[in-house]
Amino acid sequence: MSEKTVLFDLHEQLGATIVDFHGWLLPLRYEGILAEHKCCRESACVFDTCHMGQFSVSGPGAADSLDRVLTQRASALKPGRCKYGLLLNEEAGILDDTILMRLDEDDFLLVVNAGTRQKDFQWLQAHLGSNVSLEERDVSLEDKSSAWGKIDLQGPASYEVLRSLIGQQRPRLAYFAARRTDFLGRQCVLSRTGCTGELGYEIFLPSDALADVFGRLVEHPLVSPAGLGARDLLRLEMSYPLYGQDISEKANPLEADMDRFLNLRRTFIGSGALEEAAKRGTARRLIAFRGEGRRRAESGQEISAEGDATVGTVTSALFSPSLGVSIGLGYVATEFSREGTQLSINHPRGPLAVTVAAKPLYNRGTCRNIDAFGGYTE
Amino acid sequence: MNIPESLHYTDQHEWIKVDGQVGTIGVTDFAQNSLSDITYVELPQAGKVVNQGDELAAIESCKAVASLYAPITGSVIEVNDDLESDPGLINTDPYGKGWICKLKIEDDLQLSGLLSAEQYKPLCEEQT
Repeated sequence: MSEKTVLFDLHEQLGATIVDFHGWLLPLRYEGILAEHKCCRESACVFDTCHMGQFSVSGPGAADSLDRVLTQRASALKPGRCKYGLLLNEEAGILDDTILMRLDEDDFLLVVNAGTRQKDFQWLQAHLGSNVSLEERDVSLEDKSSAWGKIDLQGPASYEVLRSLIGQQRPRLAYFAARRTDFLGRQCVLSRTGCTGELGYEIFLPSDALADVFGRLVEHPLVSPAGLGARDLLRLEMSYPLYGQDISEKANPLEADMDRFLNLRRTFIGSGALEEAAKRGTARRLIAFRGEGRRRAESGQEISAEGDATVGTVTSALFSPSLGVSIGLGYVATEFSREGTQLSINHPRGPLAVTVAAKPLYNRGTCRNIDAFGGYTE
Repeated sequence: MNIPESLHYTDQHEWIKVDGQVGTIGVTDFAQNSLSDITYVELPQAGKVVNQGDELAAIESCKAVASLYAPITGSVIEVNDDLESDPGLINTDPYGKGWICKLKIEDDLQLSGLLSAEQYKPLCEEQT
């Protein structure tokens, strides 16, 4: 039985094409994936992301407990800051990718994917306090995913849009900053995060406040609603992996090319196995590639190198309007993972020539911009 | 759903406009609507000979891939090069600027086996 978010009726009214995404009925598109993508890159879009998981982790023991279970070091995170990282199992397999937000000294919000929400919560219940109970560790873990929801507002115009809605000061956040704030009289967590590469915000609100806020945002002349299709395209242009498609428990963070998010001198669940993997060297790497034309690959297709040897598999592939060519992500044998390597995808309609590219594939995003919008760092 | 009266149709959602011995071919409004966001069209080579039902072109959209099948037997005399840089023409103008290719018609009799607009319309309704 698929679930609906509180915004489902609004999506239908807006003419969305609905799909089932990990047990949630969500908009695939409204006007069209390419139109919505363009709007996000040039103006602003709103996405219903209520299906994602939100866990509140609080108390004097929260930081230390989180240090043990995430690759992000919670205790080093300043209040008001966010950090991307991974939840690993003991074998260093990736259980999920997450954003950790430190709203205050003892007040954390952990944002996780929809399909892994239950698995993640059970894992945290079992491992957050280690062998010691949560009470003894002075940590409180709460699943806020039903009581609260989230809307993503993304695009170069998003600061202007928010400012017109909630005033000059409230959206003034540095990149990857977050705070508890008031949003039209309701409690809110506002973070300057997102998966599109554009200036943008994640707006966390109690469920009963969402329809009103989503409705107001959509009414703004610079804003269009956007669905999962556009979201997938935007994140792929940023070379961000999608859990369940590009990364899973079958991959460790080194294979997933996430070295920069790891501190191997630290101890956390999976760090031992990760150290072993680092010493052994990884046999494969998750690379980004770009094609020469519009024809695209499909997930699951084999990747070959010179001499027709199979060296890997495609995990994500789409046509990129921003780059004008097809792009994708895939795992290849490490010796073929260097930028500039020429590869060929075994496509039934003929080999597809691609080149390993630097990440992100799209590098004109406005997510870090500070100058164009009245100096909104703090 | 737009279904111009003057065209012939197939149950694979192709249309053909006949002008003497030349048939202009494309996909219908129904097809472009299901595919949505067309990103690439693999056009046939001029001179290619096809039998009725053979794959003539491939169409990729953001979320799907579809084949265009030859509604009739013939040879390709012209392809719409505009689709190389703007495949979205199929979405915005499927019966006009989104035409895909032109065939020299080999056998006029095959045309009578195709669907009229009247006959094609219920197929769209069934599949919606």
